Amino acid sequence: MRWAISEVPFVKRVLLGRWLHWSITAVTLTVFVVVILTGIFGTPAGNHNFGIVYVWLVWWALLKIVLVPFLGRFWCSVCPIPAPGEWLQRRAMIQPRPGGRLYTLGRKWPKFLRNIWAQNFGFLAVALFSALILTSPLVTGLVLLAFILVSLVTSLVFERRTFCRYLCPIGGFVGVYSQMAPVAVRIKDPAVCAGHKEKTCYIGSDAGYGCPYFNVPSKMVDNTYCSMCGECLRTCPKDNIAFYVRQPGADLLHTKGRRLDEAFNGLMMLGAAFVYSVVLIGPYGWLKATARAVGTPGWFVYAGVLLIFNAVAVPGLFWLCVRLGQALSRKPAARTGAGGARTPGRRDSLFADYAAILVPLGLAIWVAFTLSFTLINLSYAWPALSDPFGWGWNLFGTAQMAWTPYVSGLIPYLQVPLLLAGLVGAIALALRTARQHGQPAWSAVPVSLFCLAAVVGLLTLYLA
Amino acid sequence: MKRNLFAVMTVLLVLIGLPAGLFGYQAWRTGQLAWAAGVRVVDIVARSPEQGGFAPDHLVLKAGEPVRLRISSPDVVHGLNIPGLGVDVKEILPGRVVEVDIKPEKPGRYAFACTRWCSIDHWRMRGVIEVKADAAHPAAQETQTAPLYQKLGVNLDAVWPMDGPRPAQTPSAERAAAASGGLPESLLDPSQRVATAPADAFRQLRADPAHSQLGDGEIWDQVAWAWLHDVKPETLSMAGSLYSRDCAACHGPQGKGDGPAGRNLPGMQKMDATGDGASPPAGPADFTDPARMLNASDVVLQGKILRGGMGTGMPEFGSLYTDDELWAMVQYIRTFLFQPAGK
Amino acid sequence: MSRFASRRWVLGAVTLGLVLVALLAPVPLAGPAPQERHISVNARTFEFDPSIVRVNRGDTVLIKLQAEDVVHGLYVDGYDVSTQAEPGRPGELRFVADRAGAFHIRCAVPCGNLHPFMIGKLVVGPNLTWLRAVAASVIAAVGALAALWRP
Repeated sequence: MRWAISEVPFVKRVLLGRWLHWSITAVTLTVFVVVILTGIFGTPAGNHNFGIVYVWLVWWALLKIVLVPFLGRFWCSVCPIPAPGEWLQRRAMIQPRPGGRLYTLGRKWPKFLRNIWAQNFGFLAVALFSALILTSPLVTGLVLLAFILVSLVTSLVFERRTFCRYLCPIGGFVGVYSQMAPVAVRIKDPAVCAGHKEKTCYIGSDAGYGCPYFNVPSKMVDNTYCSMCGECLRTCPKDNIAFYVRQPGADLLHTKGRRLDEAFNGLMMLGAAFVYSVVLIGPYGWLKATARAVGTPGWFVYAGVLLIFNAVAVPGLFWLCVRLGQALSRKPAARTGAGGARTPGRRDSLFADYAAILVPLGLAIWVAFTLSFTLINLSYAWPALSDPFGWGWNLFGTAQMAWTPYVSGLIPYLQVPLLLAGLVGAIALALRTARQHGQPAWSAVPVSLFCLAAVVGLLTLYLA
Repeated sequence: MKRNLFAVMTVLLVLIGLPAGLFGYQAWRTGQLAWAAGVRVVDIVARSPEQGGFAPDHLVLKAGEPVRLRISSPDVVHGLNIPGLGVDVKEILPGRVVEVDIKPEKPGRYAFACTRWCSIDHWRMRGVIEVKADAAHPAAQETQTAPLYQKLGVNLDAVWPMDGPRPAQTPSAERAAAASGGLPESLLDPSQRVATAPADAFRQLRADPAHSQLGDGEIWDQVAWAWLHDVKPETLSMAGSLYSRDCAACHGPQGKGDGPAGRNLPGMQKMDATGDGASPPAGPADFTDPARMLNASDVVLQGKILRGGMGTGMPEFGSLYTDDELWAMVQYIRTFLFQPAGK
Repeated sequence: MSRFASRRWVLGAVTLGLVLVALLAPVPLAGPAPQERHISVNARTFEFDPSIVRVNRGDTVLIKLQAEDVVHGLYVDGYDVSTQAEPGRPGELRFVADRAGAFHIRCAVPCGNLHPFMIGKLVVGPNLTWLRAVAASVIAAVGALAALWRP
């Protein structure tokens, strides 16, 4: 069930043209420059520092509540971090070079890293330092500066958007959760692609560049690695690709042949939401201080616990639930050998396939978590706009505006329906997974209870 | 290519122009005052004392020179009080800049201090502004008067006896107002009373045959009256705000010495906590303790506030309070044990 | 419509109904008589002590905020009231707890780098909000399993 929005002539013109993405990117790059400058040179008081406020409150809220659930991985197409590298790589910003030629050293990204494992562990690494990053403008500025420099270097050494596809910690979970989005870029007619040998969508042409995310559009069945940059629409000579508006979460309906790295991402993000909810939103001051005191013995203990919880305990518990489900159904998982529609040749992994239920649940949980602190603190955005450095400026007259928590009483009423929706979605998907693997419904019960426990646990953290 | 050129130019404008614009604006903004109005701009960063306190904490200004102080804080809420120059910034919020214009006329040394409790060492957060004399603003005559305790030869650090008469109920100056006749000159004249402890005043009155028909309670009321009859409500109110701002954190809002900042003070160990009544207990003074307070004379109390320096963490306020404020504080402290008239 | 599909819709509707009941149905809980509660809350970087304040619905709550180290504030979500305090200068908050549920209390004065995460809780009455949410979750989970069950 899908509708090709890019067939509307006005929409097509805008999407095929390059000004839309470029102009939004120019804005995000401008904000990014201010973020780095204010982070490094501005006041250390986080709530009056443009860098902290506009990254961890404004952008994060926008990303989690609006962009990812509704536009999938679209942020990546306007993100400032890969932009300078990509422009240098292409030696063009608007008009593409002939043949979609890229000017890089052309090194190949190592095969064993052609997955999102680096992004998984990258996110965990950032999580270890997050109590410090979120509250220190200098650290935020330096971390983002490091990101853009790494992205720049990888753009010139390797090809395309290697950083975004294989390194960026944000890209890891944004990609996995974008499977829930009601938009998708897909081919219209597979037969047309079958008859087209040149695959300019992947190779590039005079009209544009090959997919920066190394996707082959004719094989794309989910949003995970597609930032909707529109390159493939520009290079397809058969006009066989379109932007679709479609049923949310449609990517998850094919439950077989899921990747282990993506599964781990979903599990790790769930664990991270719990850790953040306990450490940052919970009432334990000593825990927060320990989490921020990077380098102290207490922090190493905290880091160890966090890593074990996210990388071992949560995935381990989920794995037990999958195994328990199989025991309950008294039927081992069918080994179909040829794998599912996603990655031919991949052995069926019930664990990875079940882990996909954490996508709707995890997204709901992260939106709920984001709501718990962003709306309360969003009012810092106004003074930070007038006085980004905390140097006493008042550019727009809003520098003295006091902290005003918005709709503080409404937050539980937003969180509860979200979590319920995520829970129901996860359980529905679990039952579907069982059925598609030829398993009786009992096999889905333990993982469903896992999801229920996660929701009840989170509700207890927020509401009890 | 033209489109590329436009796009490239725009991005370069952002990457180069934006930093230049932001820093340029800041330079223009701070310079504008100095160049245009001839006002000297001095940035003071107020940090928790563990991180350095005021930076700078020593300013040298010229008499008659207009100065704009730009005070900011990178960590917690601070305040800034420069009593000699009439500056009292009650709140410096982290991340914001407070601007105060001053134009010191009289040469001299002006102490300044933080007025919001910003750390366990808040009481150390002080500084000094030196205003240099010049031809148009000659230095004032050095009229350094010795503090009263020095003039009277009182030893502030002596441990005085804690025994002595105590009232059974709170003495009230109000109750004694009617029967206050017949107090000796030594108690009516403030300059004589100042060196007398209330307990000694009690003994003196008790021994006087003229008061033999009065009960102990009534004698204590007379003592209270002697101490507090001429205290104005505005004085108490002013002292009350100073107390709440500067003293309550250690001495407690009710004067019991139980304030949160008074725990674990560095000098606490120096006080002998034998509890035998012969030496003061460890911790900030409990102003509601009759044994301690009724045996202390006003000059001792004033001296301690003025000089601090008992090695206990009690700061000195002589550089920040005027004489009137110091004596007002003493009277306020007395109201923890005596009820003033009019209440 | 196949039996599965019609069962799915019926059970789904029933589940949704029960969830709504769990979340919204008024529960005539006659709690204890409202009283005046004097609660002393200590604020230190970066926590409140006690971190969870429990009162009954209808109580008149008088919170005395005492700060132990720097200037702190206290803001109550939902009730939108706040005060501030520093060592030696306690703050006071007075309000009637007429809304039941769990409300975060937050520090309202910048008190250091982790200030935005200085959070505690006020729980009014039997924590119906939590109970309802948990009940609704269990109902939703069971209902989803039942509605979509295909042996």
